[in-house]
Amino acid sequence: MKPGELDALLQPWAKEVRSKRLEKDEPYVGCLPEGVPRINPYGTRFVESYTAKGLTHIFILHENGDSGAHRQVFMDGRKHPDDNDLFPSWFGHSIGWWDGDTLVVDTIGYNDKFWIDGKGTPHTEKMHTIERYTRPNFGTLLLDLTLDDPGAFTRPIEYRFQFKAMRPGVDLMEFICLEDNEYGIAGGFTPADENGDKEKAKQQGESKK
Amino acid sequence: MKAKLGVLLAVVGLSYLGLSYLSVPLLAHHGFDTEYDKDQKLTLTGVVTQVSWMNPHMRVYIDVTDKEGAVTNYNCELDSPNNVRRLGWGKNDLQPGDKVDFEANPGKIVKNRVALVKITKVGEDKPLFKRGKPDDPKQSSSK
Repeated sequence: MKPGELDALLQPWAKEVRSKRLEKDEPYVGCLPEGVPRINPYGTRFVESYTAKGLTHIFILHENGDSGAHRQVFMDGRKHPDDNDLFPSWFGHSIGWWDGDTLVVDTIGYNDKFWIDGKGTPHTEKMHTIERYTRPNFGTLLLDLTLDDPGAFTRPIEYRFQFKAMRPGVDLMEFICLEDNEYGIAGGFTPADENGDKEKAKQQGESKK
Repeated sequence: MKAKLGVLLAVVGLSYLGLSYLSVPLLAHHGFDTEYDKDQKLTLTGVVTQVSWMNPHMRVYIDVTDKEGAVTNYNCELDSPNNVRRLGWGKNDLQPGDKVDFEANPGKIVKNRVALVKITKVGEDKPLFKRGKPDDPKQSSSK
């Protein structure tokens, strides 16, 4: 997508919401989950879970701990729940299947709390994503992600991500974002702070002997 | 035949260098410009008071004494502890009491909260840590 092209696809209400959002107000900076597709590019591991009946779940792990701990993809052939049983969540309800050598992950049931990007692009609970993972060679994983949200965009959007395999011995490690989140203080604000109490932040941040 | 994904570990864009020279890839420091001034760079010498291996950003605290003898403690932010570890920095490589030369971008409001650019132990040639430019392309391709 060319710069500015995403803008042209936003419905008027979404454009207006986005224009008013400030980077510091994104839920992610307060250690809340990033959602999809924001979490996708980060270091990831796919973990398959089997029972005697075969593959039942794939867990997509990301390192961004509490803001992206794991996604659960049901591989047992089930359908998405009916609307009355579908409670919106940060990563939605994912079902998956194999299409030849392509892993397809179909997700609905996202809440509208996370941002599509750092600029504040909004979405609605109607958002539906389809991820198609292919592995052209051992060290490369490709993801084609279609984002379809008729509540916020005028047409579906396509993303393409390319992943490289990490060298052996490198693992995902614990990441607890909330343990020492000092985001904003250097800039005179905190994520929860509407207007930025700069003087208070200055006193909080400085230490002189 | 299906291509089994198994336990493939995949990552975008990280670079790994030898242990003798560590460079931190700037992994999408969210909101760098809201907090730090990338056009200013401080160059200082001081004594490490604390090394904090905590998420989301590791911090090194350094006491710097000015010409008048006043001491300011700098709160220096790095990348996540996991990413710094992956570049070879060990738990004990930097200790309170170590004397260091460092470069950093200052906070826009709170000047002693800084984003670390480079740090070298005094007397050693190679930096312990060196960051790319603050306006390096962000890792996330979703923007």
